[in-house]
Amino acid sequence: MSSFEQLKHTFFDECSDLLQQVEQGLTDIREQNGSDDTVNAVFRAVHSIKGGAGIFGFDSLVGFAHVFETVLDAIRSDRLAISPDNVDTLLTAGDVLSDLVTMSRAGETPAEDYGRDCRMALEALMCIEQGEEGEALGEDFADLDFVPVPFVPDEEEESGHVYEISFRPGAELLKKGNEPLFILRELRALGTLELSADAARVPPLSEIEFDQPYVSWTGTLKTSADLAAVEGVFDFVSDDCDLSIVEKASAPALALPPDAPTPVPEVGAPVMPEPLPAAMAPPLVPADAPKPVEAGEAKAALAKPAETKAAPPKAVATTTRVELEKIDRVVNMVGELVIAQAMLGQIVQDLPEHISGRLLQTLDEVVHHTRELKDSVMSMRAQPVGAVFQRMPRLVRELATKTGKKVRLEMSGENTEVDRSIVEQLADPLTHIIRNSVDHGIEKPADRLASGKSEEGTIRLGAEHRGGRIVIEIKDDGAGVNPERVLKKARERGLVSADAQLTDDEITNLIFMPGFSTAETVSDISGRGVGMDVVRRNIQDIGGRISLKSERGKGMTIQLALPLTLAVMDGMVIRVGRETYVVPMSAMVECLRPPRSDIHGLVGTRGMLRLRGELLPIVHLGELLDVASTESDAGGVVIIAEAGEDIRFGLRVDELCGHQQVVIKSIEESYGSIPGIAAATILGNGRVAFILDTEKLYEMAASEPPAPAGAIRSENAAFALGN
Amino acid sequence: MPIASTLKVLIVDDQNSVRQMTRLTLEELGIRQIYEAENGKSAFQTATLQPVDLIISDFNMPEMDGLGLLRAVRGHQAIRKLPFILLTGRGDRELVVKAAQAGVNNYLVKPFTTPILREKIEQVLGKLT
Repeated sequence: MSSFEQLKHTFFDECSDLLQQVEQGLTDIREQNGSDDTVNAVFRAVHSIKGGAGIFGFDSLVGFAHVFETVLDAIRSDRLAISPDNVDTLLTAGDVLSDLVTMSRAGETPAEDYGRDCRMALEALMCIEQGEEGEALGEDFADLDFVPVPFVPDEEEESGHVYEISFRPGAELLKKGNEPLFILRELRALGTLELSADAARVPPLSEIEFDQPYVSWTGTLKTSADLAAVEGVFDFVSDDCDLSIVEKASAPALALPPDAPTPVPEVGAPVMPEPLPAAMAPPLVPADAPKPVEAGEAKAALAKPAETKAAPPKAVATTTRVELEKIDRVVNMVGELVIAQAMLGQIVQDLPEHISGRLLQTLDEVVHHTRELKDSVMSMRAQPVGAVFQRMPRLVRELATKTGKKVRLEMSGENTEVDRSIVEQLADPLTHIIRNSVDHGIEKPADRLASGKSEEGTIRLGAEHRGGRIVIEIKDDGAGVNPERVLKKARERGLVSADAQLTDDEITNLIFMPGFSTAETVSDISGRGVGMDVVRRNIQDIGGRISLKSERGKGMTIQLALPLTLAVMDGMVIRVGRETYVVPMSAMVECLRPPRSDIHGLVGTRGMLRLRGELLPIVHLGELLDVASTESDAGGVVIIAEAGEDIRFGLRVDELCGHQQVVIKSIEESYGSIPGIAAATILGNGRVAFILDTEKLYEMAASEPPAPAGAIRSENAAFALGN
Repeated sequence: MPIASTLKVLIVDDQNSVRQMTRLTLEELGIRQIYEAENGKSAFQTATLQPVDLIISDFNMPEMDGLGLLRAVRGHQAIRKLPFILLTGRGDRELVVKAAQAGVNNYLVKPFTTPILREKIEQVLGKLT
């Protein structure tokens, strides 16, 4: 049964969610943020895992989950108090459960005694006797005096009446402002209503008159109300319709024969009064149109009642799982759409004005919708960073145990959403940073006490949206970076020359150099040869920035600033000479055309711009990329751009061509990483333009002495020009 | 005698995998008209809006649990006699007692096999054909 395999897959997907709930809940309980509901939620999750595992035959999982669940049940019914020890046991149990799920998913059979210690600890909590859960699977509770209750169909409602109703609205009914729908609803309120609609008289759409009722109904009403009450429903329309209400002696059509409880036979095409009309009234009707119009429209839509009967609604679900591939395909299509729309815009602009006027208007709408479409698709791909954060408490716990340190992890902003591809790629760097923090940052309890800190170290992990990016901060209150040690190490490894004078900040940032690791001894936690350089690489690969601040003896803060999406972004199209580039809007602060008097020559720079009392270095894009500028020095536009936290500079370009959504196309696969270029995109005119990496540009400019054009590495220049 | 293919069954469970497994098992019994709901609340809505012949509901669910659903059904004039089978886990003995008091027709311990499911349904509705 291949569908069985598929269901297993679904089950394990659910397990991941459930395990997350378990982890989250237990963490809350540990932090004493938990309420009764928290325990309940954890219990429910474990219970669900157990239930599913039973169905799919993962016995070891069932066994463990059962013991776990029993303890949780005791806690939620106040038979067991929550103490720090208990919570630790529960957290470990959560870990074991997660391991068992992972093993089951991989198709491994967990060792017989896997998680035995934990299980025994749980059993000890409850004084559960071992093997108590070994009742036979799927068996009834034999000791329970339960007798199944056979379903006895209603003979007849005690004081029930059954009326046969035939209702045919007359020509005047709608015109007088009556609405058959309301009448039927009222009728239904009296009891069980089974109606079939006769739509035979509905003419073709073109001949429909909106104030004519074409549909009539016949059926039965089973109710305790008397005839007068039923007739009362039709009071207002009795003159304008053919109505017959006949009481039947008994109700064979509705009540089931006692020996054959078959479901209620369907009389013709039953009309479900509630959901149908809502779908029937198309938004063609102006809001201020008189009532009967709507009804007329409704009649028209009723023309094919048979179809409504054919498809009963299936699952009632508010969410649905969609394969990522499908969403990615939509994302790609939206990308292409953005390009096509930009091209269209270009073509329209080249048309004579009397033609382009209206086109432009419509195009504006298309642009608007495309943007919304993009946003919706992106939000579909968005995932809370909590998905990654969730894994960290366990990591910290395990590391703390291994290193004999006391560490508390505080998390905030778990619900901050970001594109899921970024969430995925965040796991490794984050794990590494946290590992470093516990292993190198947080001191041993004794050392902490000696330096006047509390025994327990704290790591704060937070996420928030800031200016079109998501910023993730990992902050610990450990020892921070020791500049002397870092410098010594860097010199030993030949990463800096012996006589180099470096500021503390520069020294701190040396830990991002390839091949750097300061742990005196390589522990089995961090220092496996994967250093912070890899972390930085990973973050840069997804268009992010990493920055580090350290205060010796007080702790260290690492900040990751990441783009929200990897597929489409807002960009400013600019021109230098004959080349076109795109500057990410997220990196731009402002644009200006500074008067010559505001630009100051300063030795060792290409000029400084005085902006509101602040001096900013100017980087000439043309020079940096070896593209001949067509503007004189006095001309051109300066873009004030950001290159990392608190660093701003002026990027001088020839011209701004316009703001546009651009689709990011990676060039790394084809060309490798090119300094200063983040990616490429396709513009409206079909040409390729490079998306600039402002941070890198700034670094390049800072590391290169101001030199005449041509000094830039030739392969990049050739590439930049060759396009 | 109920005809399996005309029987309308509503499965209520918050876990999609369990719903689908139950659906598969019901389909093996020849039951074709199967509705699903994720929790008691939406199940109750479904049961009041369209004809359903049998509810098979899990206990543990957010929003409204199986017992809540059972009580809601029993308290609703039009569907108060609707046959109701409660899914339980082993160990949920007390739950079965409560459900019996609330008027459940039968219970079914997870995990279950096709024959057991048939037996439980037939105990309530009569022999399936």
